[in-house]
Amino acid sequence: MLTGPAAWFSALAAMARKELTIMLRYPVEFVASFAQVFIVVIVLTLAGLMFSRGGARPSAANSPVAGLVVYGFILFLFLSDTLWNIGYNIRREQKQGTLEQLYMSPASKFASLVSRISLTLVWMGLASVIVAVAMSAMIGRLPFANLPLGVFLLVMALSGTFGTGFAFAALTLRVRETAQTVVNLVQFSFMVVCAPFFPFSALPMWLRYVSYALPLSYAVDSFRSTLMGYPPGFPELAPIGVEIVIVTAFGLLMPGLGYWLYRQEEDRARRRGSLSEY
Amino acid sequence: MTATIRPSFRQKLSAALAETWLRLLNISRYPGQLALEIIIPIVFAAMPMLLGRATAGANAAANFQANTGTSNYVAFLLIGSNTFTIVSSAFWHIAYWLRFEQETGTLESIYLTPTTSMTLAGGVALYSVVRGLTSALLAYILGCLIFRVDPFAGDVLLALLFILIGLIPLYGVAFLFGALVLKVKESNALVGLMQWVVSFLMGIFYPVAVLPPLVRLLALLFPPTWMVNGVRSALLGMGFFFGKWYLDIAVLMAFALSVPLLSFWAFNRVEQGVKRNEGMGEF
Repeated sequence: MLTGPAAWFSALAAMARKELTIMLRYPVEFVASFAQVFIVVIVLTLAGLMFSRGGARPSAANSPVAGLVVYGFILFLFLSDTLWNIGYNIRREQKQGTLEQLYMSPASKFASLVSRISLTLVWMGLASVIVAVAMSAMIGRLPFANLPLGVFLLVMALSGTFGTGFAFAALTLRVRETAQTVVNLVQFSFMVVCAPFFPFSALPMWLRYVSYALPLSYAVDSFRSTLMGYPPGFPELAPIGVEIVIVTAFGLLMPGLGYWLYRQEEDRARRRGSLSEY
Repeated sequence: MTATIRPSFRQKLSAALAETWLRLLNISRYPGQLALEIIIPIVFAAMPMLLGRATAGANAAANFQANTGTSNYVAFLLIGSNTFTIVSSAFWHIAYWLRFEQETGTLESIYLTPTTSMTLAGGVALYSVVRGLTSALLAYILGCLIFRVDPFAGDVLLALLFILIGLIPLYGVAFLFGALVLKVKESNALVGLMQWVVSFLMGIFYPVAVLPPLVRLLALLFPPTWMVNGVRSALLGMGFFFGKWYLDIAVLMAFALSVPLLSFWAFNRVEQGVKRNEGMGEF
């Protein structure tokens, strides 16, 4: 095993470059993914604005609706990509028959997992900034407050979903193709229970209890409430201090737990000789 | 000397129906996926509904009426999301059929059979109509029942007429898109983008009147826009583009006559080009 930070970063850079090379081979997909993000936000924001007094005309009254949708969607993008991409890439290596060879190499396994989403994060970050600017130009200025705390909450939420992504990668090694269905179901449930596109107050009470039990709900609530400058009624699930503690604990603990689960499952797959099976 | 035997209409119909049956049989193996197709449009429509109710409170229906022309936002949004299901099905099924055959290496073999690609594509389109329309109708009725709205209010027969006529130009556009997939090959990205462009242009959750003039003009050149507005006007009484239902139907009929001809021509041209150059087997 190559050890030390230099070897780790070198392995990460090499693997990220490989991902970039693959990405650049599909330019249409590259551009389409960007345009898609933009259109989804416009469609959902226009839908929300049909319920506001001034409709879709640019106005300061549109800001809360636009803030809810745009910030919720940005977090949804980051989280759903982080959650699934690690497991998806493991599955791709399995299908291509290169996963076993990868594990024969002395490179860091952790770097290998992280490299799967490093490019996506950069790409999504860029897309988010452009979407936010474009939406401000189209329907009125987005509420934009407490940027440092907002970035901190985003980083912690991402770190937590990194960990959850490792756990999903472990699940992929165990259940193989069924993992795709499980992830679809989880993403779908996330869209409802973690309320990235609407306030939690819109959920029926029994469903809100499920939201209370999930750290990701606090990530969504605290992130958008912070960037919107805590308008009346926000954050909705708990006082902001409590939400920051929950999101920070999620961000610090989940990567360790997720990676531990992944290693357990990897060892099991090695012992059973099922690493390259799919 | 070799003689080319041209298949009769009966034989072509048999080939197309066999293709339809094959796909229906295949999808019947995945009941979970079919159930999701009914649930997804309901949840999709529920997103703006929940957002609107939470942000506008008691004024939600009144504000919605002022912006769209109807206070029945549940039906308005469900019609949008379910028409979107029909439109997405058309694009996905045609594009994915071509791409799947390309990837599995069977597209070239299909071109060696005595039938034509258009015959088989017709079979795929029929399968797509059955699947998309069934899911959309069930999702609309179920969604209306969940949100306690009468699904059969308004002129249901006229709404169905708009859908049935609108399907013809819709599949014409889907074939045009199929030609693009045949050429560019990256079907997933293209379909993913296309279905959102379509949803934006046809006014999935809002009337196209809110779009800027140039975009609105573009939207009106797109048949699904007329389909979704026709269905909404028939069921919710929001007002047809030309004031009378038969004028809007006439526009859809004009699309139904012209778009398939254009798309068959374009598809054939791309097909010939691909055959002459890289060949159908490359992906």
